Amino acid sequence: MLTPVEPPPGRAAPTTMPEPTGHRPPWWRGIGGHVVLAVAGLASAFPVYWMYATSVKPSEDVLDRRLVPASVTLDNYAHVLASLPFGSMLVGTFLMAAAVAAGTVLTSVLAAYALARWDFPAKRLIMLLIVCTWLVPVQATMLPNYVLISQLGLLETLTAVVLPQLVTAVAVLLLFQHVSAFPRELFDAATMDGRSPFGTLVSVLLPNIRPAIAAVTILAFIGAWNEYFWPTMVLRRSDDLIQVGIRSFLTSEGNDWGALMAASGLACLPVFALYFALQRQVVDAFVRSGLR
Amino acid sequence: MLVDAAPLPVAGPVPTPAAAPAAARGWGWVRPYLYLLPAVAGLVVWVYRPLVQTVEWSFYDWNLLPTTPATWVGWQNYAEVMALPEMHQAVVNTGWYVLGLLPFAVAVPMAIALLSRRVGGRARTVYQALVFLPMLVTPVATAAVWRWMLTQDGLVNQVLGVVGADAGNWFRNVDTALVAIILITGWQITGFAVLVFAAGLAGIDGEYVQAAALDGASRRRILGTITLPLLSPTVLFMTLMTVLLSAQWSFALIDLLTQGGPSGTTMNVYYLLYKFGFTNFDVGFASAASVVFFAAFGVLAAGLLALLRRFSFYDN
Repeated sequence: MLTPVEPPPGRAAPTTMPEPTGHRPPWWRGIGGHVVLAVAGLASAFPVYWMYATSVKPSEDVLDRRLVPASVTLDNYAHVLASLPFGSMLVGTFLMAAAVAAGTVLTSVLAAYALARWDFPAKRLIMLLIVCTWLVPVQATMLPNYVLISQLGLLETLTAVVLPQLVTAVAVLLLFQHVSAFPRELFDAATMDGRSPFGTLVSVLLPNIRPAIAAVTILAFIGAWNEYFWPTMVLRRSDDLIQVGIRSFLTSEGNDWGALMAASGLACLPVFALYFALQRQVVDAFVRSGLR
Repeated sequence: MLVDAAPLPVAGPVPTPAAAPAAARGWGWVRPYLYLLPAVAGLVVWVYRPLVQTVEWSFYDWNLLPTTPATWVGWQNYAEVMALPEMHQAVVNTGWYVLGLLPFAVAVPMAIALLSRRVGGRARTVYQALVFLPMLVTPVATAAVWRWMLTQDGLVNQVLGVVGADAGNWFRNVDTALVAIILITGWQITGFAVLVFAAGLAGIDGEYVQAAALDGASRRRILGTITLPLLSPTVLFMTLMTVLLSAQWSFALIDLLTQGGPSGTTMNVYYLLYKFGFTNFDVGFASAASVVFFAAFGVLAAGLLALLRRFSFYDN
């Protein structure tokens, strides 16, 4: 029998480490932590740096192994922007990811609220139904979903990309945790004030779980932006989405590394921008979600 | 009229209230289902309906064309799945993916999280930002930049050349392709795992450590008898994730970098069934393979969850 995945305790806790306790540690202990983290940080960030460093090198310098480019040019970006409809791909990808994020928040807030607020006969069954989707790999559902999309006449449309991503178990469960932690007395008080359940949801619950809503929105948006598998299946010939467009650019350009790195760098830019603006929230959202 | 306040119900993980007044209004019982409808409908249409469909198709021979009829073949697809040599190779490779990714998902991040407990403030935020960065790089860009770094005359080979080693093109070489895909997937998930372990450590009550330190326990002893046992749920959780999801984490990279080659050395189970479904259009075979893997991973997950319950030391 399949059982719900219980998050280990503390997984939802803020990502700060415990303060040192007891005696003051010798000075070199702190240094060790810095060294370890610095090495891990550099190893993580270097390929990203190398991508952007290569993208600004003139083509004769591409094989140069110096860490800092000797001379800088934007030729590669000009080439990429001239050969790909970048503006429309950005708009299309943004609309798709925003629609997925909005849909995910809507469906998961409603579901989490119902599960946390009321008791009803099929509750356990529905919980199980939601949790178990976590075990179903996309590869096991792709063929029937592809056929359904094609029967609906939606192949090569953004709607086809959005529809299957509108509900995720992770979003429902993440919000369920937060709504369950919400004091019940406030729901009851709102009922006594004559508020309808929906009114309570909008005016009492939503303002109080904003960080969780933000986490779900960020996760869904970044997940949809970076989603590779499903869009490349239903949008084989289209230039509507950045992932699909860049992918065909990668195969067509062969070994023009400067241009490839420029195109890849551009595809990552919006998510990086979001990350630098909302770093804490983004990291928090991912850690809370488990993975995916 | 004033009524003595009843004792407030203790807020537990699953609240159990207020069904009575709703039911009394006649149609009130429908309400929770209405709120759940969009989410449940979505999951039924996009997860459970296709799952059932996959099971049905696994007994047919069909090539995905609406014009050709599907023919019933019974268990034949399953027999083929079990007999195919490529399938055996893919299953073995999937095992290698899991084993290869465990260090990146469990050992290394745990060590990093433990060693860096005392780093705080602004430095910590910067490190965190860097370590997490790979999670956000789109698969297409990840594949591009690593193909560039690992190509014949790329950066990695240039550096290796200094010590006299030559790996050639990592993705075309039978001995290195799988290693390369595992390294890249590992690069993407390590940062995330570090943060999960950091959160696990943060969730451990400092009082235990303090009490042990007051009793004169050494650092090593505190680590071995308090910190690590309390961290075991996180370890098991990340192990579970790695076992279940390795084949999915590496999927996009396989598709973008090697398509399962050279000679099947990077093929994993999901990529193989994707190939059968969408390159060979052998729907029955792909469906039968899906059912087999879904069942196998389900059994594995149930086993690991049982372990998780049995061997976890929960705080409180």
